[in-house]
Amino acid sequence: MKLNPLTIRKIRRFKSIKRGYFSFLLFVMMLTVSLFAELLVNNRALVVHYEGHYYFPTYGHMLPGTTFGLAYDYETNYRELSARFERENKGNRVWLPPVPYNPYETDLKTDAYPPFAPSIAEKHYLGTDAVGRDILARLVYGFRIAIAFSLLLLVTNYTIGVSIGSAMGFWGGKFDLIFQRIIEIWSNVPFLYVIIIISSIVVPSFLMLVLIMAIFGWISITWTMRTVTYKERSREYVLAARALGASNFRIIFKHIIPNTIAIIVTFAPFSVSGGIVALTSLDYLGFGLPPPTPSWGELLRQGWTNLDAWWISGSVIAAMVITLMIVTFIGEAVREAFDPKLHTTYE
Amino acid sequence: MFQSDKYVKRPFGRHRWMVMALPVILITLFSITEHRWTHAALAAENEGKIFQADISKTPLPEDIKWLTNDTDPVFASKDAKKGGTFHTSIMNFPLTFRVVGPDSNSSFRSAILGNQLSLIGIHPNTENIIPEIATHWAYGKDRKTMYFKLNKKARWSDGQPVTAHDFAYTLEFMRSKYIVAPWYNDYYTKEIDKVIVYDDETLAVVATKAEPDLHLKLAISPTPRHFFKELGKDFVRRYNWKIVPNTGPYQIVDFKKGKYIKFKRKRDWWAANLRYFKNRFNANSVIYKVVRDPNLVWEHFKKARFDVFGITIPKYWHVKTRIPIFKNGYAHKIWFFNDTQRSATGMWLNQDKAIFKDKRVRYAFAHAMNIQKVISEVLRNDYFRLEQGFVGYGRYTNPDIRARRFNLAKVDEYMKSAGWHRGQDGIWEKGGMRFSVEVSYSVEEHTPRLVVLKEEAKKAGVELRLQKLDGAAAYKKIMEKKHTVAWMGWSTSMRPQYWEHFHSVNAHKPQTNNITNTDDAKMDRLIDAYRNSLDEEERIALSRKIQVRIHEIGPFVPTFMVPYVRQAYWRWWRLPRVPGTKTSDTLFDPFNSSNGGLFWYDKARYEETKKAMKRKKVFPPVTIIDKTFKRP
Repeated sequence: MKLNPLTIRKIRRFKSIKRGYFSFLLFVMMLTVSLFAELLVNNRALVVHYEGHYYFPTYGHMLPGTTFGLAYDYETNYRELSARFERENKGNRVWLPPVPYNPYETDLKTDAYPPFAPSIAEKHYLGTDAVGRDILARLVYGFRIAIAFSLLLLVTNYTIGVSIGSAMGFWGGKFDLIFQRIIEIWSNVPFLYVIIIISSIVVPSFLMLVLIMAIFGWISITWTMRTVTYKERSREYVLAARALGASNFRIIFKHIIPNTIAIIVTFAPFSVSGGIVALTSLDYLGFGLPPPTPSWGELLRQGWTNLDAWWISGSVIAAMVITLMIVTFIGEAVREAFDPKLHTTYE
Repeated sequence: MFQSDKYVKRPFGRHRWMVMALPVILITLFSITEHRWTHAALAAENEGKIFQADISKTPLPEDIKWLTNDTDPVFASKDAKKGGTFHTSIMNFPLTFRVVGPDSNSSFRSAILGNQLSLIGIHPNTENIIPEIATHWAYGKDRKTMYFKLNKKARWSDGQPVTAHDFAYTLEFMRSKYIVAPWYNDYYTKEIDKVIVYDDETLAVVATKAEPDLHLKLAISPTPRHFFKELGKDFVRRYNWKIVPNTGPYQIVDFKKGKYIKFKRKRDWWAANLRYFKNRFNANSVIYKVVRDPNLVWEHFKKARFDVFGITIPKYWHVKTRIPIFKNGYAHKIWFFNDTQRSATGMWLNQDKAIFKDKRVRYAFAHAMNIQKVISEVLRNDYFRLEQGFVGYGRYTNPDIRARRFNLAKVDEYMKSAGWHRGQDGIWEKGGMRFSVEVSYSVEEHTPRLVVLKEEAKKAGVELRLQKLDGAAAYKKIMEKKHTVAWMGWSTSMRPQYWEHFHSVNAHKPQTNNITNTDDAKMDRLIDAYRNSLDEEERIALSRKIQVRIHEIGPFVPTFMVPYVRQAYWRWWRLPRVPGTKTSDTLFDPFNSSNGGLFWYDKARYEETKKAMKRKKVFPPVTIIDKTFKRP
């Protein structure tokens, strides 16, 4: 692939902004880790060596306890299995992930009640929540859901918003006028209330929540796109394309949008953090994804009701601050890299 | 089937609290224009003529047998002394002091009604009839009439005598369209036929049809006809903040909208020396103060600005009460087991859903619910297993029924015999169906319980999909019978009500209480017999059989019950040796005519405690656990 020299310059510029660049690397790392979270945070073992056979339970079907000579038909408890193999010392072995809990299971005790404080011995590195689930596990899986949510939301919003925005700018006239009014009306709908009402009637699934959010989320980018397209439309290259007989569709998507990409890209990171915040606050209010989905908002609420269990609110707040900061640093660096004037700084 | 408005069934008891959120906003708006109410405001109101019922032309039947009750045990303490001011809290200021009409169904209504006696009452421990305003009563031969002789001393709070006409006026009043209370209009027309006045102190109340437990229906309250006179279109507005004369021990003397309501004990209450009222209702005044946040109420309690605080919730009983006022013995804790009707709380399986059509699958589902683990590891062993839907109804309850326990072997047995097999993820499967069911619930605090059930059910090969809905949405979904499993409880009534929940007449259609869609011929026969029987023994036998049949059909998985109340109170408040009654759901109800007002104020102890607190002197800590009425 051959990159446009301008693009190469932008990338070089981005790399030179250390804070943004390292944030970007960190973000990519977090994404990768969360994509393979099953290997790091899971109650299923990575590898089980049992009577000469190797088992890899992480991905794939549930292995009942009977597979390993246990007396039950439900899913093997690998933590107990590991302890048992060690006791028996017959050459069988279980390799557990570093955090041997999944985000749904409750690790309860008979003589004490959750939330339990962090404990390295029990491998609850950030403690448990009020139901006895491992907080680190819920944070990791919650991150994956939140980031997937906001990326998906970003793509949906921008696809709709950018198309409509550029169409408005490109055609202008009545189309522009009518759509402007529609958007004005639409943007006056108090969308948080609408979401709350909808999700109190039906429990929204992941995709449905994205859809509901997207119904109201596409608006903001249209204004910007409309303005830029107005400007681009009167440039010579558009005229040339038209003279060559390009269709409107082709002109918008092949010529105008690539030339406005800088604007779209600079807005994107901030939309990502917006998406994370939106999902978290909906979950916090209890109108987001249905329980027991791991979610930061739900953890935040638990932290608020169990203020004495500092590790709940502590870890979720730290996780949020770090994630949002990273995303903002990336956004800031992208903005600067795409800035034609070299001297501006982001304040 | 409603027996009286106190026992109306409402699903989602909590839902009412959500409705109460609006009043908070309204009150905040209106309390800006607070004004203080004074006695004088009442004067010179109510022109118009006073209601007078026709005197019956047929004389009182001679062959009736007058009954009374002066032999049941008393439950108040002889040591009780009068005095003191009892401070308690309410979440919201009531929207009106009316007890009928718009906005009248707030929690404060019970405080007003507690001071409004009826013809007769029910002894809280023996369930026998005891006198209230009537001294004697008799049953008519037609099984739908009861005769009453009134207490000659009975007086309204304004000194007027209570007469038979006041009871006839209740019907007139409750049937009036001006009170804007369609439910009461309907009830007092369709359920109560008429009130016959023989003379000022003798009357009969007639039901529209013969039925068992007639006394529960016919024990109506009087309405002060001299106060209301003629009703008009302005009733609702006019009586919003009027203090209606009453017959009970206290009356409102002062209030400030949005802030407080003060009740004062009547110095010469006419019923003070009646057998079952003696030594009760001891506090001189009772003040309800509005505090809108439970945490704030707790803070006030710790400063002794409130006298009592409910600590039934495990967190309060076990953790939050580990503070100096309890350690130093200034405040006491009491755990009192009662023995009253338990809410049918649990999981209601919709038998119209394909998966639950098979009885064996319903049984397997019940055996897959590890309720015991939830009780021991989430609820701190503070809750008890509910064995069936109708516990605490005295002899109407069949004590031999035991809920199905968590048992993986039995799940296997039932599922295999029904032709299911475990899928690759360990969940049962059969011909394209997975044993994966949606559980609809509406109370956020129940999530931890359901999460544990869900994880445990997985072991049994059952997947629960939790669906938390807003109270109104859950109610709608369940009433439209669109749920698969409903996680909810019903409010209780004096006697078990089976027809609405389990008769096939109410199955397969929306807006009925048969949310399990139980449609069973044998059940119908039993329920019809139960409804038509007028013989108590027969009804009890049938009631027990119906409960067995419910267990056999298995559409309901009973979960928890809380057969007690736990409260914290400052040590200058004293309770009888047996601190409450079978039906007490609080030990500090100041007004309830059936079981309230047993506590009293100990002035010497108050001074002793205040002095001790100042000088940092401590008393031994006190935690009372009373198991008088605990069922084994």
